[in-house]
This record gives sequence, C-alpha cells and structure tokens, in this order.
Amino acid sequence: MTATAGQRGIGATTARETAKRLADAASLNATLSWSEELLDAEGARVDGMNKPGPLAGIPIALKDNIVTVEQPTTCGSRILEGYVSPYNATVVERLRAAGALIAAKTNLDEFAMGSSTEHSAFGRVKNPLDPSRVPGGSSGGSAALVAAGVVPVALGSETGGSVRQPASFCGVVGVKPSYGRVSRYGLVAFGSSLDCISVFGRTVDDAAPVLSTISGPDALDATTVARPPLGLPKALPNLAGMTFGLPKEYFPPDLDAGVAAALRRTTEMIKQLGGSVREVSLPNSVYAVPTYYIIAPAEAAANLARYDGVRYGQRRVGPEGDIRALYRTTRGEGFGEEVRRRILVGTYVLSAGYYDAYYRKAQRVRALIAEDFRRVFQDVDLLLTPTTPTPAFKAGEKTEDPVAMYLADVFVCSMSLAGLPALSLPVGRSNGLPIGAQIVAPYFEEERMLSAARILEQNTDALAEVR
Amino acid sequence: MSIGLEDVLHVAKLAELAVRESELSRLVDQMNRIVDYVATLDQVPADGTAQGFVAGPDAVVLREDVEAAVPLAFPPSAMAPEFAQGFFLVPRHGAMEDQ
Amino acid sequence: MAWETVIGLEVHVQLRTRTKMFCGNRTTFGDPPNTNVCPVCLGLPGALPVPNAEAIRLAVRGAIALGCTVHETSVFARKNYFYPDLPKGYQISQFDRPLATGGSVTFESPDRGRMKVGITRLHVEEDAGKLLHDRVPGKTAVDLNRAGTPLAEIVSEPDLRSPAEARAYLTTLRQILIYAGVSDCSMEQGSLRVDANLSIRPTGVEKLGTKTEVKNMNSFANVERALEAERERQVVLVESGRRVEQVTLLFNAGTGQVKPTRSKEESHDYRYFPDPDLPPLVLTPKWIAEQRAALPELPEAKRERLERVYALSATDTRALTAEAPLARYFESVVDAGADPKTAANWVMGDVMSSYNESGSFPVSPSRLAALIGLVRDGVVSHQAAKRLFSELAKSDEEAPRAAAERLGLVQVSEGNALRGWVDEVLAANPAEVTRFRQGEIKLMSFFVGQVMKKSRGKADPKGVQPVLQERLAQVK
Repeated sequence: MTATAGQRGIGATTARETAKRLADAASLNATLSWSEELLDAEGARVDGMNKPGPLAGIPIALKDNIVTVEQPTTCGSRILEGYVSPYNATVVERLRAAGALIAAKTNLDEFAMGSSTEHSAFGRVKNPLDPSRVPGGSSGGSAALVAAGVVPVALGSETGGSVRQPASFCGVVGVKPSYGRVSRYGLVAFGSSLDCISVFGRTVDDAAPVLSTISGPDALDATTVARPPLGLPKALPNLAGMTFGLPKEYFPPDLDAGVAAALRRTTEMIKQLGGSVREVSLPNSVYAVPTYYIIAPAEAAANLARYDGVRYGQRRVGPEGDIRALYRTTRGEGFGEEVRRRILVGTYVLSAGYYDAYYRKAQRVRALIAEDFRRVFQDVDLLLTPTTPTPAFKAGEKTEDPVAMYLADVFVCSMSLAGLPALSLPVGRSNGLPIGAQIVAPYFEEERMLSAARILEQNTDALAEVR
Repeated sequence: MSIGLEDVLHVAKLAELAVRESELSRLVDQMNRIVDYVATLDQVPADGTAQGFVAGPDAVVLREDVEAAVPLAFPPSAMAPEFAQGFFLVPRHGAMEDQ
Repeated sequence: MAWETVIGLEVHVQLRTRTKMFCGNRTTFGDPPNTNVCPVCLGLPGALPVPNAEAIRLAVRGAIALGCTVHETSVFARKNYFYPDLPKGYQISQFDRPLATGGSVTFESPDRGRMKVGITRLHVEEDAGKLLHDRVPGKTAVDLNRAGTPLAEIVSEPDLRSPAEARAYLTTLRQILIYAGVSDCSMEQGSLRVDANLSIRPTGVEKLGTKTEVKNMNSFANVERALEAERERQVVLVESGRRVEQVTLLFNAGTGQVKPTRSKEESHDYRYFPDPDLPPLVLTPKWIAEQRAALPELPEAKRERLERVYALSATDTRALTAEAPLARYFESVVDAGADPKTAANWVMGDVMSSYNESGSFPVSPSRLAALIGLVRDGVVSHQAAKRLFSELAKSDEEAPRAAAERLGLVQVSEGNALRGWVDEVLAANPAEVTRFRQGEIKLMSFFVGQVMKKSRGKADPKGVQPVLQERLAQVK
C-alpha cells in the first residue's frame, strides 16, 4: 500500500478510516492513546504538505516508549501517567517529514521490560488471532494493531527481541535493524547498548520503506553509525548464490513440533528457490539469555534512576515527608513488579563486590557471542532460525516465574547482544497460531536480509498449517 | 550465591525503591532465582577476551561548541509536579541540606 | 607526639566553553532559573548526551599544562546516585580510564621551598544543578541551568604536608590553568571548587591515617583555615585516645570550624560502569600535539625566559608573571623600546596597582615606553614621571611628551634658564663658593640642591652639575 503523491485528501481519508479501525479494535487493549481530533489534525497536516514524501498518507502506530509532543508517553507505567514530552523523537520527525500519519501510541510491557505485554500498568494486550493468548512483548500493542489490520506498519523497540518475538506470535513481519542504524534520540532508554527502534509490517514491502525513512545517522545520538541511510530491498528472482546457515543450537531436539515443521518447510523453500543451507554452530549462544539478563537490567537500573518525581511524571511522598520519602515512594509505587525486580537485579550486579563477577563477566561473554556470529558469517550469507520456541502462549502462563518468561527470548536474544540486524517472517500456522522464521544478517547488511525475506515471503503461504 | 533479606534491603536502598513488607519474601526468592540463573555464566572460562563488546561506532564523534539546544515545546513549569518562582521544588528535610 | 599532616586536594574547574558538556545549551552565569535547559540536561525520557569538542580540547590542554600523560583512548562512565540536583540520577564522568594521568605541579611551598606535587589524574565530567534551601519555606528549590556544565576534575597525590602548603599549591595550579586558557578559575563565581582530604600520622610512620573529606570552602584562605581546623580536630581526637572516623565535614566560614555532615549513611557505592550512550573518546597523537602547540607559554617557562633574556631576578619575574596579562604587558613595554629593568619596576609598581584596582591597563605599553624614554633622556625627572603616569591614565589620547609640556614638567638641562639659576645660587652663597674653591668639593651637592630648589624641581640634576662646575671654575 503506497500512497500516490499529490492525491489530495489522502490524509483526511486515511485519518477517518484509521479512526474507525482503531475504535473497532478497542477490545485488544493495544493502544494507550489515540483520538479522532489528533488523527484529523495529522490528516490535514499531510494533505497540506507541498511535497508528500515516500510514506505519504500511511498511518503508523508508535510504541508508547517513543516520545511525541502531540500524544502522551507513558511507557506503560503509572510513574509516567499523563507525561507529555516537550520534544519529538528523531524517528517521529523523520516519519512526519515523509508524510506518514501518526495514528496512535501503543501498549507495551512497562518500560519495554517483558515478553508478553502482560506487564503494562494499563492492562494486557490480547493476541488478535486468539484473545486468550499473549501477542508477545514488549511491543505487543504495535504487533497486535498490524496483525488486526488496523495499520499497515507500526514502530516498536527491541532490547532482547521485543519486536521479532511478538511479530512471530502475531503472524506479521518484524524487522530489527543493526544497532546504530536508527537514532535512539527520543526512545525512552531501557538497555542503552541494546535498544533498537524496529518496524512491524504486514509484509516486507510495507516495513522496508519505513525502516529506510527512519534510518541514518543523527547528530543527537552518539551511538548512530555514520553510514548512509538504508536503501530499499532488491527484487530478487530467486535465492541462487545465497547460503543460509542453520545454527544447531537453535534447533534443539525438544523444539515445539509445529515450529520445527515450519522451519523444515522454510528450509525446503530456500532450496527450491536455489539457495543452499548448511549447519553451523554458535556455541556461546547458550549463554545469551543469562548474559542479557545481567547487562540489560544493569543499564536499565541506571536509565530509570531519572524517574524520581522531581521534574516530571507522577510524584508521591511517603510519611516521613523528606526527599528520600519522595524518591522511595514515587518509585516504589510508580513502577510495576517486573520493573522493580529488574532495577533491583541491575543494581545488584553493578554493586560493590559484584561488578566483576557479573557485569564485567557478562560483557566478556557478550564478546564471545558476537565473535561466534562474525566467524560464522565468513562462511554463510544469512542465518535461519526459529524466532520463538513455541507459538503464542496463554495469558498468565508464564507470569509466576520470571525466568520462564525470559526463556521466551532464547532464539532472539543473541542477535541483540551482537548488535546484528534480524527479522521475523511469518511462515505458517500451527493449530491456527502463527509461526515465525528468523533471518539474521551481518552487521549493516539489512538489504541482503530484506531482499531474501521478500522473495521467501512471496513463495510462502504463511496462513497454511504446517502439519 | 545466596541473596538474603539484608542484601535485598540494601539494594532497594541504593535504588531508592520502597519495598512492601508483604512482598519482601517473594522478592528475595525471585531475586535468588534470577541471580542463580544468570550465574550460569560462571561456567564460561574467564580468559582471553579482555574487553567487552558493544556494536556501534568505535569512537565518539564530538560536537562543536555552538549554541544549538533542542527547543522545548513547553517550559519545565508545564511538566513539573511542583514548581514556583522558576524552580523545581522538593521537600526540604532529610540528609540533604549540608551539601 | 609529633604529628605529620597528609593532604590531597580535588579541584573542579569549569572549562571555558560556550555550551554545556553534553548538549547545546549556553553556560552563562546568572540567567533566570531553568531557562538554559533542554531534554538532555533536564534528564527527560529519551534524551541522549553528545560530548562538546571544545571541552575536550581545553581539558587536554589543561592536562598537558600539568605535565600529564594524555591517554589516546578514554571512557565516559556513569556515577550513580540520587540527589535533587542530578537530573539523570547519575553523573556522566570518567572512572577507570580517565583522560589523563601522571602529571605534576612545581610551586613554592612556604615550608619546604620549591617542590613538586604529583597530579594523579585529570578527567572530564558534567556539573550538577544548583540547590537553594532558603528560597521557598520548607522546600528545596532546584535550578538546572548549571546542570551539564563541563568540568575538569584534577586530583593531586597526597603530597601536601600543611594547610599553608595546600594553599600555595592551589595558587600555582590556578595560575597555570588560567595561563593555559582552560578555565577562569574563580571561586567567587564557582568556576573553581576545592574538596580536601586530610589525615594525620605520627612523624616517621609510613602508614597513612584515616582520611576525612572537607568541603564547602569558598576561597583559598578558607581552604587553609578549614584544614587547620580539621588537623586540630583530628589531633585532639587521637590524643584523647579516640579514633578518626571516615566522615565528610563542612567548613563554616563564620565560625572557622568544621562539622561532620548530618548524613550518617555509609560511603557511597557509585556502581560505576562505562556509559553505553557514549563510544570511547579516541584522540590521535597528531591532535594531542596540536593542543600542545596551541598552549601559550606557561608561568614557569615564562619566568625562566624573562630571567634569562632580561636579566631579571626571580622575585621580579614571580611578580611579573603572577598574572598572564601583566606579563604580556611587561614584554610589550620592552618591545616598545624600554629598558627591561626599568620597565619591570614600573610594571611591578604603578601599573600593577592600577591593574589590581581596575583590571585594565589605562596606559598602553607604547606610551609607558615613551614615558620611560623621557626619564632616560632627562626630559622629565622620575618624580615627574610618576605624576605623568596618573595623568596619562585619564585618557589614551595625549602623548607623554605633550602631557609633560602641558603640565610644565619638562626638565631644563641646559640653556639660559639653567645658567640663570646657577648664577643666582652662586651669587646668593658667596661663602660656600669660597669654601668650594678652597677645596671643599663636597659642597657641590649643596649647590645642586639649591639650584633644584630655585628651579622648583624643573632643573635636571644631571645638567646642573656641569654648569656649576663650569661657573665655579670661571670666577676668580
């Protein structure tokens, strides 16, 4: 769905259609703020543009940890309830300049910490394909809106798989760029060395132009890499000449049968399209989740220290009435359970006496994980793995044991640690639930990954049962 | 490694997080569960790789010393929980005053 | 029991940049509160730091001026703690990989003469905001204009052995940094702050005692007073059988006492880790060399050169180089043709007085050189010149010679007027004339004095004497 430049009124039309769809999808609880007035204003803005850009008239939803001036930003947390940012994230400026309509802010696990969007202070999000199940997380709201056909594209963010995993659970495309490809200025920080604004789309061709628009260096973000913005993927006729590595650690013998079947089918399709596959090994991947759960909470503990009730957000003062009571009560009551847990773990692993054993050790293991990928990419062009170990699980199934929830990210976490681009492509259904295949590319090789995904997508019936 | 009640209370203090009595023991259990899990990294030999790894630029690009602050759509007073005479306000008493 | 005092100083200086360390806000002093702020220095969700190139340049120059090794790679680190003036709940600083280490400062200790103090490290960091406790009753007011201002932290080795010595070190450190153009180093304006660590140990013992931290000193004199008070406090404690606790104390300028802060919390666990928002700071040897080349001549080198080239004494050069503008002024006067020693005397005298009062040089170097020339040539006496100096300071238009003539200060060293005065004096003192001719040649100075009196100071003594000689020889 691309807008024809110069079509007057496309903004207004899109605004009205999107408003209706948002209203119809209210039961998903996927949004935290949207309004007809704002949508109409967005529509009018787009229609008034002299030179509508490449995204002219396209409605896009934003995860509610990306700051906007027009809508509040809550990060799914009580501590930021009612907070309105006085500046727009760089990605928002770029989207608006390209003519996109900002449709809504979407629900998420609080401060992006979670894998099911059950940890929002404003209620869980329902998977459109089965409301008793989770859409995945932390970008569950954005994934659900795209899966429900409310918007064709949405932005989410990834720290350890929070776009690829929900994309897989919801049956949509989810693309994580290389770290440093997209500006983080205006993305509320969780794990600064891991955070990547990422894109959901119904198809690769929906997501790719959005990624292209938001990518490119930003003088306001010192972690962006000074390379030109991403171009669009090539229209390949087949996969001849492309070698896919299948890392054996990602195909354990006890892998869910439906997931295993879907990946077998995808592997066959690659071969049919002229590509080759071979087994590779990423031995340190087995340490990815524990490594991640040291580094991410540590960075998060520092990143969330600014939520102290002094300059913005909600404030609560405890009975002692002093500044410490302000801090402890504001934060103790404003943050949800998962966030508090992660802040405590993060503070613990950085604290005196533990820094070397945990944080420093984790950074070293991270280097080993990244080295595994570098080595393997000398022999193959791309990697293929399942995105998630199972299809979407039921709400409440994993909330008792934090570690059980962490393991949902076992296949997506290592790419985040290594800063690599990766995407999830829907490749089939198992008992009606979507299954995603993950494609991983070397650092800054998104075009290769998107081109391959595109032709695979065209030759795959993502709605077909795999068994 | 075992985390005790004292450890959790100490860390909560460092992180300025009030912890409710009712959730304390569950929190201790969960913290132990998580920390035991991440301690599986002990199995990885601690050698060779001296440095950590982060993707992104190898060196920071500096910005020139010219006035170019990002403008605010509205002033601090519009966001602040408590604001008067141009200042953010916080409660006074406590171990803060002397510094 | 004889006690040895061990002192180390931590000095924070504000780097002379236009904008803040990590964002593009101004660093000007005195603006209305919370107006020089942006998402970054307010610590708003989603904001990110980008370092200021000029701050790094100045910090590197400071490090070079202090003889430090500048590290080609250094790392920004987060120092985590909660305080209302700290918007992010952490300060971006440097920890185990600082910008520079291993320098020294040579200075004149009042106790031990010329000596060296080691500089452990110099690193860059951002400043916190300001808290005002008396602005609104029952509340603390927070102003974040200052939050994010670039600072260099300079840590000395614990090589200082007395409060007076500490003060002398600070004076020299400040001078070096001002010369290097790194900072204004004004304690009154807050661009220089000092925290001190002090411990005592029995003389001859190597093991260091427990050190305390002393803060809240707003002048070098108060640093000395505060350290005197703390040393005294520790000696009294230990001599009465108690132990020194590792505490932080605040100096009270009114009472001259130091008191432990009310905070009884354990020492901070700052949980330092490399800031993931900032890649490493990498400086090339070529770039570092450019900063070295950009440094002006520093005080020590300037003193040495002035002594050598102009044959001045150490006392003179110390005075002349006390402040860079003074030294520059002196050299300009010499370049304009004045004799160095004479110029030095003038600069250390009249020029310095007026500079200390007004902060400026109302008499330009070329005019002063011209004035010095007039004295040298006998056109005016030294007395007259001093009066002329004040006159010249009033406006920069009149040339010294013209002013001298206007005020009638031009000396007469020859001609009829002079001969006239001589004749009058000799005529008025016949007895002395006879005695002179009979051999009392020391009466010459009497005659010279009389001529000076008669001429009301206008006669040039150098010109008077030959005329007297001539006349006294003639009369028979």
